[in-house]
Amino acid sequence: MRRMIPFDPSKVERPNPALLKYYIITALLTGPLSVFVILPFLFKYETLRYKFDSEGMSMSWGILMRREIYLTYRRIQDIHLTRNIIQRWLGLATISVQTASGSSAPEVSIEGILEADALRDFLYTKMRGAREHHDEEHVVAPADEALSLLREIRDSLRRQIQPESRP
Amino acid sequence: MTRNVERAAAWMYRGVWGLLTRWFRVPEHPPTLPTLPGETLRSFRPAEGFLRYLKLKFWLGLAVFTVLIVGAWIALTAARPWIGVWLTPVALAIVAVPLVLGYLAIHLRYDSTWYVLSQRSLRIRSGIWTISEATITFENIQNVTVESGPIERFFNIANVLVDTAGGSSGGGEHGTKGSTNLHRGTLAGVSSAPEIRQLILSRLSQSKASGLGDESLPPATGWSVEHVAVLREIRDALR
Repeated sequence: MRRMIPFDPSKVERPNPALLKYYIITALLTGPLSVFVILPFLFKYETLRYKFDSEGMSMSWGILMRREIYLTYRRIQDIHLTRNIIQRWLGLATISVQTASGSSAPEVSIEGILEADALRDFLYTKMRGAREHHDEEHVVAPADEALSLLREIRDSLRRQIQPESRP
Repeated sequence: MTRNVERAAAWMYRGVWGLLTRWFRVPEHPPTLPTLPGETLRSFRPAEGFLRYLKLKFWLGLAVFTVLIVGAWIALTAARPWIGVWLTPVALAIVAVPLVLGYLAIHLRYDSTWYVLSQRSLRIRSGIWTISEATITFENIQNVTVESGPIERFFNIANVLVDTAGGSSGGGEHGTKGSTNLHRGTLAGVSSAPEIRQLILSRLSQSKASGLGDESLPPATGWSVEHVAVLREIRDALR
């Protein structure tokens, strides 16, 4: 790993310029069609924006047809990180994130992040089942609160009742 | 003689692997998973038997192919001896080239496949040209399938298929291996299949969620023994 400072996903907004190189190379590989293929790629690169917050991520792109996808980390079903040979040379990767929707195509494909491994592991730690259950914590806290409230009621009742002389 | 051939093949293979890792940036080390403290990580390749199984399948296929080519060559030599003799190197090349390429492909596939298991998730790496790593938490798994054919059972291996929620790209229940179904993780050719299934299922049975991304259940509102005791005391105090 060459990164020294810990990776901070909230700083990620734009894809790395290496993505533009990758798009150009893949467009050139289509041969004579590259003139037509390259335009959507350029538009996508120019308009691509990412946003990672504490609960979920969003990704938007497009000039004529604008798309913005938002998903929460807890809904992630599985994460796929793929690198083809060109991407490996440029240090890029595609992170495909899947939710439980019907399509088998990935819901979000994050491209153009150099710290793909770190981002993938960030998503992994946010995903369901990567951490301990929250059930126990949730159950314990309110129950104890109710118990202490009841004890307070009992004690104040006793204090009110005791001074009176009962038959 | 055969030992020398094997050694030469291994040496050639190491050269190819070295080139691949350097030029094509194939990672040499197994993938890892972020772990919680106290969590153990197990990374392994498919079982040795899987390599033998792949080779056996390959040899069987190649044998049919070789018989066809050699049969055609013999027929041709019998009919037109001169053309037959002239075509000998071509026939040899047709037999030898797939042999070498297939051997290489099988070993590369085997060596580039890694499975990583932690207590709560798994990661699968596979591929050479396009390297893909899939990460799935056990919590999200819907079902686990263990399948093995007669030859695979002979080699003492099995495939563990792990499905998460969501549509597959057709092919029915046990559909299309190698298709682009991203909702499935395949641990092909492992020797400890029952153990892996047990690990996943024991984790699944602890979970109350359905694996569809739903949050953990709302806090339980039932009274515990202590609550009831305090409530009794309140009642008694009011009497």
